[in-house]
Amino acid sequence: MIGKWIGKRMVMGLIVLLIVSFLSFFIMQAAPGDPATAFYGGNAQTLTATEKERITRAYALDRPVAEQYVAWLGETVKGNLGISYKEGRPVFEIIRERLPNTLLLFGVTMFCIVLGSFWLGTVAGMKANSIWDKGLSTFSIATSSIPPFWLGILFIYIFAVSLGILPSSGSGDVGGNGGMVDKIRHLMMPASVIIVTHVGIYARFLQESIKRENGQYYVKVARANGVMERSIRNGIVRNASIPYLNYIAMTIPSFFGGSIIVESLFAWSGIGQLTVKAVVTKDFPLLMGSIMVTGILVVITLFIVDLIMYAIDPKLRKGGIR
Amino acid sequence: MKLRKALLFWYSLLGLIVFLTVFSTIFSPYSPNEMNMDEIYSAPSSDHWLGTDHLGRDVFSRLLEGGKVTLVVASGSVILSLFIGIVYGGISGYFGGVIDTVMMRLLEALITIPALIIILVFQVIVQGGMWSMALLIGLTGWLVTARIVRSEFIRLKEEEFIKMANMLGTPVWNILWGHLLRNSIPAIFVVTLFNFAGAIFMEVSLSFLGIGIPPTIPSWGNMLYYAQNDILIGAWWIGLFPGIMIFLTILAINFIGEAWKNPERRRVND
Repeated sequence: MIGKWIGKRMVMGLIVLLIVSFLSFFIMQAAPGDPATAFYGGNAQTLTATEKERITRAYALDRPVAEQYVAWLGETVKGNLGISYKEGRPVFEIIRERLPNTLLLFGVTMFCIVLGSFWLGTVAGMKANSIWDKGLSTFSIATSSIPPFWLGILFIYIFAVSLGILPSSGSGDVGGNGGMVDKIRHLMMPASVIIVTHVGIYARFLQESIKRENGQYYVKVARANGVMERSIRNGIVRNASIPYLNYIAMTIPSFFGGSIIVESLFAWSGIGQLTVKAVVTKDFPLLMGSIMVTGILVVITLFIVDLIMYAIDPKLRKGGIR
Repeated sequence: MKLRKALLFWYSLLGLIVFLTVFSTIFSPYSPNEMNMDEIYSAPSSDHWLGTDHLGRDVFSRLLEGGKVTLVVASGSVILSLFIGIVYGGISGYFGGVIDTVMMRLLEALITIPALIIILVFQVIVQGGMWSMALLIGLTGWLVTARIVRSEFIRLKEEEFIKMANMLGTPVWNILWGHLLRNSIPAIFVVTLFNFAGAIFMEVSLSFLGIGIPPTIPSWGNMLYYAQNDILIGAWWIGLFPGIMIFLTILAINFIGEAWKNPERRRVND
């Protein structure tokens, strides 16, 4: 059963990656000059005739577009993402350096958001018509209306320019003088901007989901039979967290989109900032690589969320509708 | 009662913002692109209500003009995505079966790719002006609309009056237009409102990154792009006000959208 289900999700992920790869390949085709130049950038002039010949053969540049795509995809899967125009280094290497920063930012923010929204949502959802209940609705609409990067600008003005207690940009270096503390200091502003602008809306979704479950017949029956409030609460939260997880899965893509902007505002050297830099400097191989990596990140994250949902939801385990 | 008053407030706030920006030429004290090198970075005063920027341009005038650009781009893109969404969702929902399955699988895949990434790709190849921006945001923003239209169509298709219409031989076009689409309007309206807020977010974000609307045209996002550097030398007014405008606009739209989501709160007067 689980094998079939995982297979289905994986096929979906592969379709997504295929579309992302079309997008990436499209950049190569649309970039000025011939694709070999697009791929090797500034280094293209230094290539000798035999090397050019080799590239042409490797990428099937003398063949129809469909075959070119297959050849390019083959190289990409092998990890050959070309050479960056500006840095003259393999794109793969640059991305590998940047990836931990993005994962750190994503991990920390997602963890805090899930933790915070779970707590807020449960409190507000279980106490219907309390101040928590009404307050959270307004709070979530208000915070989700703030453009994250604008909040970032305000934070920079307050904490970096006026108070001077936090660095305005950069991502710190664990191996540097500051060590781990430096890294955390750099992480604080970008992470808190993302958390503040997202936690409310997720909490609200859980709150509404809990309120819906709370009104269900099975809860009423359990209460009438004197089941302990704590186990009722556990049951409700468990059932309510399935649509909540689904909501997280649905918003993951825009979450990655949002972190691109926050990363570049704070010069947090992750994949997002890299993508924007690649667009601004028209560094095509770098852009292609970072798009592919973002696509892979999204697909993997969604797959993990799916697995958690599978573990929680018995309907899925029993092969129910999805 | 309290809720209705609050809703009325958000309607008027949004109305005021739209009114001020649409008639920006009347209300702005200076020309939005008029430079004055003697008065760069001057703080808010009676001459310049919201101060001036790094080229001595009046922030208030640029705020109104920029709002017009931002709102026009958002409106244009929303109209486009509304159209695509209705057509795509309508076809998928009306025909059902294999067509529906294939179209929805494709939609699910597309929804997984961050819209920002798709727009970045096209921006790097054809960096255009205002309208190409609206086109790009519209082309990436129709997915949720399509989903809603489809589920509304599927729900309505099972209703008795549609079955009846089919039985009586009502032309397909008439059923699609007069019955299915017309009854989906409330749901489409809500999703379009949220889409509008999303489009503003998108334009502002892209311009803020310096890859949206060309810097020669003022927009709320573009103003924030320069504010990044200005804030470091302490010129807070350049960044503060465009952000507040974006915040208030989106806030008003979100509150109105939330009210429309719950039918019992919908009526303002009665």
